[in-house]
Amino acid sequence: MLTYIIRRLLYSVVVLLVASFLIFTFVTVSGDPLSFLKMSPGVSQETIANITERKHLDDPIIVRYGYWLRDAVTDQFGTTIIGERKIMPDIQRVMGHTLQLIIAAELLAITLAISIGVYSALRQYSVFDYLATTFSFLGLATPVFWLALMLQVLFVNVYLWWDIRIFYTANLSGVDPGGGIDFVLDRAQHLALPVIVLSIANIATYSRYMRGAMLEVINSDYVRTARAKGLKERRVIMRHAFRNALIPLTTVVALNFGALIGGVVVTETVFALDGMGFYFINALNSGDPYPVMAWLMIVSTGVIVFNLLADITYGILDPRVRHD
Amino acid sequence: MPEPVLSIRDLTVEFSTEDGVVSAVTDVNYDVFPGEILGVIGESGAGKSVSVMTMLDLIPKPPGKVLSGEAIFKGRDLLTMSKRDLRDVRGGDIAMIFQDPMTSLNPVLTVGSQIAEAVLAHNRDADDDSARDRAIELLRLVGVPNPEQRFDQYPHEFSGGMRQRGMIAMAIANEPSMLIADEPTTALDVTIQAQIVEVLRTAQRETHAATILITHDLGLIAELADRVCVMYAGRVVELSDVYTIFNSPRHPYTVGLMNSLPRVDVDQEMLQPIPGQPPSMIAPPPGCAFHPRCLHSRGRVVCRTDVPPLRTFGEGADHLSACHFAEELAEAHVVGIGAEQPA
Repeated sequence: MLTYIIRRLLYSVVVLLVASFLIFTFVTVSGDPLSFLKMSPGVSQETIANITERKHLDDPIIVRYGYWLRDAVTDQFGTTIIGERKIMPDIQRVMGHTLQLIIAAELLAITLAISIGVYSALRQYSVFDYLATTFSFLGLATPVFWLALMLQVLFVNVYLWWDIRIFYTANLSGVDPGGGIDFVLDRAQHLALPVIVLSIANIATYSRYMRGAMLEVINSDYVRTARAKGLKERRVIMRHAFRNALIPLTTVVALNFGALIGGVVVTETVFALDGMGFYFINALNSGDPYPVMAWLMIVSTGVIVFNLLADITYGILDPRVRHD
Repeated sequence: MPEPVLSIRDLTVEFSTEDGVVSAVTDVNYDVFPGEILGVIGESGAGKSVSVMTMLDLIPKPPGKVLSGEAIFKGRDLLTMSKRDLRDVRGGDIAMIFQDPMTSLNPVLTVGSQIAEAVLAHNRDADDDSARDRAIELLRLVGVPNPEQRFDQYPHEFSGGMRQRGMIAMAIANEPSMLIADEPTTALDVTIQAQIVEVLRTAQRETHAATILITHDLGLIAELADRVCVMYAGRVVELSDVYTIFNSPRHPYTVGLMNSLPRVDVDQEMLQPIPGQPPSMIAPPPGCAFHPRCLHSRGRVVCRTDVPPLRTFGEGADHLSACHFAEELAEAHVVGIGAEQPA
């Protein structure tokens, strides 16, 4: 198992290197990062020449890639082209925010989806099952930005009409980060709506997976064997059915989580959250390849790590695919 | 005659499907006596498994539904028993061996733990260690080599025959007074089948359990069964001891089965199959369900109008047949072995 993980990680490094070169090339050739500066009247030719010199913008792409790689490894992805702002602290900040958002949303989604899925499967074709099915298709079909806006409208109006502040509808903080319990409550009030928006679609997807997997398992021969052994129904469901039914969901969740690391661009934009998605959009708009590169590399690493985690959990849950 | 361990009386079970209501078993009656092996034989869909699954409440309900009948096991009706009491019977006093050992063991749990689980479920004073010892002892009994190592292996590390041995070990874990083997060899290679037959024999000898052996393999019946119950289209059509069934079958379906067997004692160019297809269970033929395929009916009206009861017919109280003309079948030439088939 350990050698498997090490082998996978080494392999990932190669993949990341190749990916980074391709990404760097495409991002670099897609535009001049200084075009905005060059158009601004107050910027002297000297300044532009200085930046070009310092950032080696005149060198061939392969050489610039070399410099970038050096900075990435030795100087935490270096600095932005304009303003020489260190990249890593910014990414750490937005990553923190995004992680708070997606961890909360995924935990909520997984808990609810598993409960809904299992209950639907155990009471197949009951009223609850039909309702859950209907709502999951509704949840899947609802556009994220629309739902987000509607929730904002709702809670803004609740505030305006009754002067009750339930949830904040934008941004992250009204309280100084050092404030202990006040800070946590304030952060929760800010994150509640984005978490709800983000989890709706995931609850819908996950609960369908869970229902399908559970139905397949409770009709399987080995669950019949477990019943024929005289086990209590609770034990049949928990030990023999539930664990097997979790296997497909694990893969879906782990892969999805890896993808969410990149931030949830739409949700973060609607709620003006200072997260990964928001950061990436701004970086792209600025035309500066360095923050874009740093972001892409970190997100790629995240995806790879979560892929690996998915495979490891899979191996723990299912001995048939255990890697030696 | 000793008291039967199990008496199934007038059991009728239906399944509702999208195409209509399937009468899976209708008015099924049979007894199982202590220590004997009762072979239940019939085509796929004849209701062999449903009759036993129903009494352990292992058929899905819905769509399954018990319309009538009782299953008296040691004086108590399994069909009206509380869920809790039935749970004690399952895997305790009545244990099952299923058809497909590939899918009947949970793939994510070790074989040993699944056997130990059966021990723990029925012995309050057993702990994990004693259950493990018992499971290893059982694995050794059914001929699994290195049971100590095998205990901790998963089903995918077992071959098909070894898995079926594991299933048998699980079934006899609590020394049941009744074993139900549902096509125990069907999913296995011929050579492995022979080994499993030996294991079944051992298991039965160890536990002295009355056994219901469900199969469509006549060879297995001849090998193991004491008495035979022949089912067709959800009904019992013939019931007798194994010698009588093979030597003097008194139902045209049984006769057809025997004729379809390859024989080594006669020079045979072709096997004689039973003509036609098994009937639809949604709209079974009126009268005797076998009449459209019967070589003996010869268009007689009563076969199409009246359901023949399972009855004795003057060849002793132990031989029952559900044919209007069972007596005629005593004259072997009527549809007997080697007879010309009508074109």
